[in-house]
Amino acid sequence: MTIKNKVFINSSTSISCAGNSNEELFLNICNCNTGIKNNSNFSYENNPAIGVIDSNLTFDENLISQCQKILDNSNLSNFEDTLLILGSSVGGMKNTEDSYFKNSDYKDIDINKHNIQTLIDVIESKYKFYDNIAFSTACTSSANAIGYAYDVIKKGIYKNVLVVGADSICHTTVGGFSALGVLSNNVCKPFDKNRDGMNVSEAIACLLIQDQKTSNSIEVCGVGYSSDAYHMTQPHPNGSKNAMLNALNCANLEPENINYINAHGTGTMANDTSEANAIEAVFSSKVKVSSTKSITGHTLGAAGAIEAIISTLVIQNQTIPSSTNLKDIENKNINLSLQTSKEKVTYVLSNSFAFGGNNCSLVFGSVK
Amino acid sequence: MKINLEVLEASYIYDKEDIKDLNTKELVPKMVTRRRLTKAAKIVIYLASKIDLNNNRIVFGIAYGETKATQSILHSINDNEQISPTVFQNSVYNTAVSYLSMLTNNTNEIMTISSGDRTSANILKAGAIKAIDGDEIILMSVEALNIENIDKLNNCIDYLEVGVALKVRFTKESKTLDFDNTNQENYPNSVIDMLNIAKQFNPDKKNIIEINI
Repeated sequence: MTIKNKVFINSSTSISCAGNSNEELFLNICNCNTGIKNNSNFSYENNPAIGVIDSNLTFDENLISQCQKILDNSNLSNFEDTLLILGSSVGGMKNTEDSYFKNSDYKDIDINKHNIQTLIDVIESKYKFYDNIAFSTACTSSANAIGYAYDVIKKGIYKNVLVVGADSICHTTVGGFSALGVLSNNVCKPFDKNRDGMNVSEAIACLLIQDQKTSNSIEVCGVGYSSDAYHMTQPHPNGSKNAMLNALNCANLEPENINYINAHGTGTMANDTSEANAIEAVFSSKVKVSSTKSITGHTLGAAGAIEAIISTLVIQNQTIPSSTNLKDIENKNINLSLQTSKEKVTYVLSNSFAFGGNNCSLVFGSVK
Repeated sequence: MKINLEVLEASYIYDKEDIKDLNTKELVPKMVTRRRLTKAAKIVIYLASKIDLNNNRIVFGIAYGETKATQSILHSINDNEQISPTVFQNSVYNTAVSYLSMLTNNTNEIMTISSGDRTSANILKAGAIKAIDGDEIILMSVEALNIENIDKLNNCIDYLEVGVALKVRFTKESKTLDFDNTNQENYPNSVIDMLNIAKQFNPDKKNIIEINI
């Protein structure tokens, strides 16, 4: 089979603690307005700083609303010839928690509303798709979903793909990261010497990815995967380095072609040291780097998709965002963006790393 | 669109309650690692020992995730107890195949699909699409549902623990093996497409399947 098609992001929408639209999201990122707030609804943790969507709609209603926005802003009349690819880390975990915590009884749990597929079921209750598939690789889930979209369009198998990255905040994730000792009570400070952890957050991010460009397209130029084969939660720099190198190779680009890296940058000691070392090993100190998680929080399975949207907005606005909260840089051999700046941006690389040493780097580019 | 795959190797195992003979002690000699493994991870490691992995790309799937870890977390939260860090790190859907990557030093692309009852059907589709690149792909589908109070959640699955692995590659040859999702013995629907293929696999002849994308 000849591999020939180009891959374009033609429409995207998002809702997160950092804004109820892409416009709000990017404005808040550029103006360093964080959506992270202390929240006392998680009683086992002392007021953790987390990111919650501010909306009158339920998470499921927002899921449908975001898909409708995509449809309204597309050249499609429906999704019947579209592949739906979901990336989610926890799926319907919140449903299970809500049911079980009522009476501590298993009979209240609907197993079909527990798993990852339940989010697809919500979307398909309103829209008919040609087919669907869901990836769940923890915090790389929706980055891998975009990688799969790249693969099926590049190979000419589909013309239209809707990627949805979605994770709702729940006790399991807040409590779990708290148990690991990586949850901060403050807005996170990625790549800062004095960083004290991450902010769990929720988001829905949708991207319509097609084989034909439209007036405002951004190209998906390449994807790189790797596995650390090292530890369940401690990253190994070789894994992230290999993902970035594989993405550059896939995109047929050199490191110096990249203008901006949207880092995974969670604000944990382990991730940021490892990722900074990997970036230092692959790129020159000219490439600007920032993490946007101090504005959005770590949206877990949705992170790859929302950061892909941020990457497209960086290219469309020719604007590199600052590293909010970064004061005392740990690794001075990488070029961390300290203030939002207008720059010529042709190519952006976005990193996503996950439990189990699952790594995915994506390269996006302006359309020539 | 149809993509044909040659099934090069196949392995499967199942039990109505608890698969006991997984050879984990021999396959994972380090106790510190072994005691962290989830049941799904032990099944995956057993299946991997029956086929030649060779640092291939892996498409893994599990519909219901790491049920025992999830249950433990729910209990901890409900009882206002601290969640075990090990249990939390073992609760993600890609846990089982991540342990496999660590134990086999597989640094290649490893995907985890969770598509409900269609999980193994989607593993086959994703595997077929990836196999177009020309490399051999490992496909794995596992469920480990034997947890406390499972009878309150389950009324249709008879086999609570099932695992199946296939090693495949792209071929232009015609299909020699038909399969469907018939499930008369009440295995989890999520594994049935791959399990039906593995049960028909004959190592003495060519096993070519047709995947409808």
